[in-house]
Amino acid sequence: MRSLRRYWRVYSAFAANAVKLMMAYSVWFWVELLGQIFMLIIFVYFWKAVYANTETVSGMRAAETLNYILIAQIVAPLVRWSLILDIGGAIRQGTVAIEFTRPVDFQARWYVEWTSQMLFQAIRLALPLGAVAMICFGLRLPADPAVWGYFIVSFLLGNAVLFCFDWAFACLAFYTTEAWGLHILREGVAAFFSGALLPLQMLPGWLQKGAAFLPFGQALNAPVSILTGITPVSQAPAVIGTQLIWLVGLFLFSRFFFGVASRKVTVQGG
Amino acid sequence: MRKLKRYASLYWLFLLQRFKVLMEYRVNFLIGASSTIFIQAASLMTVWVVMGQVPSLNGWTIDEIFMIYGLLTLAKSINHMFADNLWTLGHEYIRPGGFDRFLVRPINPLFHLLADRFCHDGIGNFLVGLVLVMRGFENLSIPWSLGNIAYLVLAVLAGGSIFIALNLITCVTSFWIMNSVPVTLAVFQTHEFTKYPLNIYGKMIGVAMTWLIPYGLASYYPASYLLGRDVGYMAWAMVPVAAVLLAAGYRFWLFGLKHYGGTGS
Repeated sequence: MRSLRRYWRVYSAFAANAVKLMMAYSVWFWVELLGQIFMLIIFVYFWKAVYANTETVSGMRAAETLNYILIAQIVAPLVRWSLILDIGGAIRQGTVAIEFTRPVDFQARWYVEWTSQMLFQAIRLALPLGAVAMICFGLRLPADPAVWGYFIVSFLLGNAVLFCFDWAFACLAFYTTEAWGLHILREGVAAFFSGALLPLQMLPGWLQKGAAFLPFGQALNAPVSILTGITPVSQAPAVIGTQLIWLVGLFLFSRFFFGVASRKVTVQGG
Repeated sequence: MRKLKRYASLYWLFLLQRFKVLMEYRVNFLIGASSTIFIQAASLMTVWVVMGQVPSLNGWTIDEIFMIYGLLTLAKSINHMFADNLWTLGHEYIRPGGFDRFLVRPINPLFHLLADRFCHDGIGNFLVGLVLVMRGFENLSIPWSLGNIAYLVLAVLAGGSIFIALNLITCVTSFWIMNSVPVTLAVFQTHEFTKYPLNIYGKMIGVAMTWLIPYGLASYYPASYLLGRDVGYMAWAMVPVAAVLLAAGYRFWLFGLKHYGGTGS
């Protein structure tokens, strides 16, 4: 009990700090909001033009697809993490050495920081974006509280999956000492296979199979499909079960790989 | 004319130095140069998947959309390769005080800023754009005539100049606010609109991307012209607009320079 209280105290302090750090750069927030509104506009017009000549694309109707895209684009900035750059930077600058000496778990601390920033971002960015999407583009949200419950659980699980993946992937920087390329590679692959640009259900069979082997869809396509009703409530527990398997697997792997890779620390004489 | 020759040879020397630095880290160079390809691939694959299921997007086939996308990417790559350093003016030069170094040298400070860092990340964009446009020429049987090639080069150079000029205008604000990246980004990110045919958007966006923030002149109109769609004199509008914007950008730069007082660091 006592140690639980200590954990809470330590990690909530880290969480609060991470949020404060974000609030210090408010200009960025406005630019990001503006950019994301541009993306909403582009996607709405793009998909409207797609559906101008056809009733369905891969069995999905216009209203369904538009709703998916709107929510996906609202959620997308929340999962656009630069964890790889940050860990890579820590390795490159040598600050990772300090992390090893701290009396808190390195991974747990970063997870708490990232998650708190993401939740803060959800309030600050997703709420206004959602309002814009509702007023200007007719975004429809479900009324069923069960759907919302499943969505939130699936969203948090999916993000934890992504966190563990990024963590393991970033450990490659111990070998390459260069994170920029890893980051860009991950961004490009994730942009497509997370389902931020189009519902993964629309991909041709072989690409869908590829997407199922990658963790990115778990963070975006899975929760958004639940919220839009593309995944019916009855199937939501199965989705969450899959996410749990992903999470356990990637969590164990990320711990293991970090342990192996961190022995390879190269300090660049900076 | 002698001045031009001097600057050309200076640029060459800067470029050579830059490549010597880049070649010290060969793997990083390759990763950087190919990085933008991965980012473009996501959007291109989306268009490919969607357009595989519908015949056209407001009258534009997939090949034609890729043509628009390719022209924009080529124009963007010119800016990315040769003028990327504008982004860093505030946080890499003015704030740390390094900008003063430019002011005491016997060359134009803007030239120095641009020549200081050729950005190899733009090479990926250039290749993506080039492949898309060449693919468009083949698939849409646009003749590789001298006229078309000259028009293509002109369109890309003028389009690139529009990108450079808009970045220049917004970056000059760092003389007052230290970090201009958010300002530049706010304007720059509107180019996303012009990756797709302008006529899918409402009229207001079309007008805005043609006259207000004219990235559309770098993609939609030249693509229309090459595809034989009649856009009248708008096919050539990118040239005077680029010239006017560059001149205005340079004027604004000089104005900002006059107000520059250093950061005292």
